[in-house]
Amino acid sequence: MREDGPVRDDTAGRAGRGVRTGVLAVGLGAALVVALTVAVSLGATDIAPDRVWSVVFRRLGGAPPRPGTNDLIVWQLRLPRALLAACVGAGLGLVGTATQALVRNPLADPYLLGISNGASLGAVGAIVLGAGTGGLLGLGLSAAAFAGALAAFALVWFMARRGGGFSPLRLVLAGVGIGQFLSGFTSYLVLQAGDEQQTRSVLFWLMGSLSGATWQVLWPPVLAVAAGLLALQARARAMNALIMGDETAAGVGVDVTRLRRELFVVTSLLTGVLVAVSGAVGFVGLMVPHLCRLVVGGDHRRLLPLSALTGALLLVVVDIVCRTAMDTQELPVGVVTAMIGAPALLFLLDRRMAVGR
Amino acid sequence: MNVGIEDLHVAYAGRNVVAGVHLMAAAGEIAGLVGPNGSGKSTVLRTVYRHLRPAAGRVLLAGADIRTLTPGQTARHVAALPQERGSDFELAVREVVAMGRTPYKRAFAGEDRDDRETVARSLAAVGMAGQDARRFAALSGGERQRVLLARAFAQDPDVLVLDEPTNHLDVRHQVELLALLRAQRRTTLISLHDLNAAASLCDRLHVLHGGRVVASGAPRAVLTPELLAEVFGVRAAVTEHPLTGDPLIAFDHRRLPPSSPASGGGPDGEG
Repeated sequence: MREDGPVRDDTAGRAGRGVRTGVLAVGLGAALVVALTVAVSLGATDIAPDRVWSVVFRRLGGAPPRPGTNDLIVWQLRLPRALLAACVGAGLGLVGTATQALVRNPLADPYLLGISNGASLGAVGAIVLGAGTGGLLGLGLSAAAFAGALAAFALVWFMARRGGGFSPLRLVLAGVGIGQFLSGFTSYLVLQAGDEQQTRSVLFWLMGSLSGATWQVLWPPVLAVAAGLLALQARARAMNALIMGDETAAGVGVDVTRLRRELFVVTSLLTGVLVAVSGAVGFVGLMVPHLCRLVVGGDHRRLLPLSALTGALLLVVVDIVCRTAMDTQELPVGVVTAMIGAPALLFLLDRRMAVGR
Repeated sequence: MNVGIEDLHVAYAGRNVVAGVHLMAAAGEIAGLVGPNGSGKSTVLRTVYRHLRPAAGRVLLAGADIRTLTPGQTARHVAALPQERGSDFELAVREVVAMGRTPYKRAFAGEDRDDRETVARSLAAVGMAGQDARRFAALSGGERQRVLLARAFAQDPDVLVLDEPTNHLDVRHQVELLALLRAQRRTTLISLHDLNAAASLCDRLHVLHGGRVVASGAPRAVLTPELLAEVFGVRAAVTEHPLTGDPLIAFDHRRLPPSSPASGGGPDGEG
C-alpha cells in the first residue's frame, strides 16, 4: 500500500483546495456557457453567436419573437437540445459519483452495473405495452425506466452480495452479466414490436440519443437533476464516511442501512429519468467523477457539484460532435461517449494494476 | 463516562458469535478484550459503535441504553477505530480526520473555525501536525493508523473503541500507538492480539472464549499459565518484565500443553 504511481507525488498540490475548487467551478461554468453557445450556433445552417444571444435575450425578456427561421432554429430546435445535453451530462456525473460511493468502487457506473439496461428495458416495455403514448418521452416512460433501474440495481446488488462476500470484481461481473441479460430482453421486445419505423427510432434512442429534445421533455430531467444534486449534497459528508467503510461510517454516526437505501433510490430515479429522455449513455458516469477526483480530491462536498458541471460540459461538447461529424446523419451520443469512455476505462484499469491494487 | 455491556448476544450469519457477555469499563479506564480468533472480541466492540445490533442484551453509556440515542448522538460520545483500512478514493489526510466532525454537523454545513482547530489539534496529538494535505492512500501503515486515531480524537469522544489497532504495525509503531493511548485519559475499549501489549497497556482485561467472558480483572491476576493453557491452548510462563515491571508472558514456541484440545495431533517439538 505504501508505493505510489510513478507520476503521482504525495500531495499533488492540494494546498488551498477550497479556493481552487471555486476557481475551477467558475471556469467550468464559463466554459459551459461558451459550449452551449457554440452548440446552438453550429448546425446545418450556422448562426453567429451574437444572433443566438439576441434571440435568447428577446425570448427571455418576454418580447414577441422576431419572425423568421433564426428564432425557430435557435429557440425551438437547438437550445432545448443543448440544454438537455447539459442536463443529462450533469445527471450522469452525479449518478456516477453516487454509485461509486454506494458500492465503494471507483470503477462503478450505472451503465457498467446494468442499471441503465434495467431502465431501458422498463422504458421499452412501456412503449411496447403502449404506456408511453404521450410520446416517446412522457412521464410514464420515466416511471417505467425508474422501476426498471431499481429492479436491476436490486438484482445486481443481491447477486454480488450472495454468500456474504462483496468484492468489487463480483459486483462488476454481476452488473455486466445482468446488464447483458436485460438488454437481450430489450432487443427481443423491440424486434417483437414489428413496426419498422418505430424499431429504428427505438434502437437509435437505446444507443443514447438527444434528438428528441423539446422544451416539454426538458423539465422532468431538469427537476430530477436539481433534486438529485440537493439530495446528494445533503449526504456528502456521510458519503465521505461510507467510502472508508461501513464500520467507519457507523462509527461517526451514519445510519449506513438508511443511507444506502436513500442512495439506491436517488441513483435509480436519476438513471430512470435520464434513460427515459436520452437512452443509455455510457461511460460519462465513470469518467467524470474519476477526472474530478484527480483534480479536487475525493471529498464529496466538492466532488458532487464539480462532477455535475464537468458532466454537463462534456456531454454538450460530445453532442456538438455527434451533430456535426457526418453530413448526412447524426451519431447517437452513446456511440461517441463509448468511443472515448471505453479506452479511458482500460487506461484506468491499467493504472490501478500499475499501482498494485 | 463508563461503559456497561449487559448480557450481550449477537448472531452473525445465523451463528451465535457472542452469547451472554457482561463487562464494565469504568470512566477513564483502559479495558482490554483478549481471546483467541473467533472468540467474539471484534463483535462485542462492533455493537458499541453500532455497526452491529445485538440480538439481545444492552450496551450502556453512563447507564443509558445506546438504543435510546440516535446514531449521531452515540457518535458524539463513542469514537471507533475499526479494522477497515479505507479504499483509494483520493481523500486527503485532513478530509479523513474531518470525518470525525460528522456527528456534529448538519446537512450542507461547512467546517467552521472550531472544526478546523479540532482537526489540527487531533493531528498534532498523534504527531502528524502539518501533514494534512497528504494523500491518505499514500501513507505508510503506521501513519495511516495514526491518522485514523486522529479522526477518532476529532470526534471529541468520551469513549474510544479500538479493534486491533496494532495489527500490521512494526514494533516501533506499536509502542508509539500504545503510548498515545496511555497518554489520553478517555474510557477505552480495546481488543489486542498481543497479550504482552495488553498486559502493559490495560487497567483491566476481559478474556473472551467462545463468545463469553471467562475471566476479568487486573492483567496480573488474569494472565496465569493455567488460563493461557485453557483458553489459548499454549504453554507459557508468566514473569515480570525486567524493564517495566509489567507482567511478561513468555510463550513456549516448541510444545503445546499436555491436554490441549487445540493440538490437532501434530508431533511435539516441531516448529
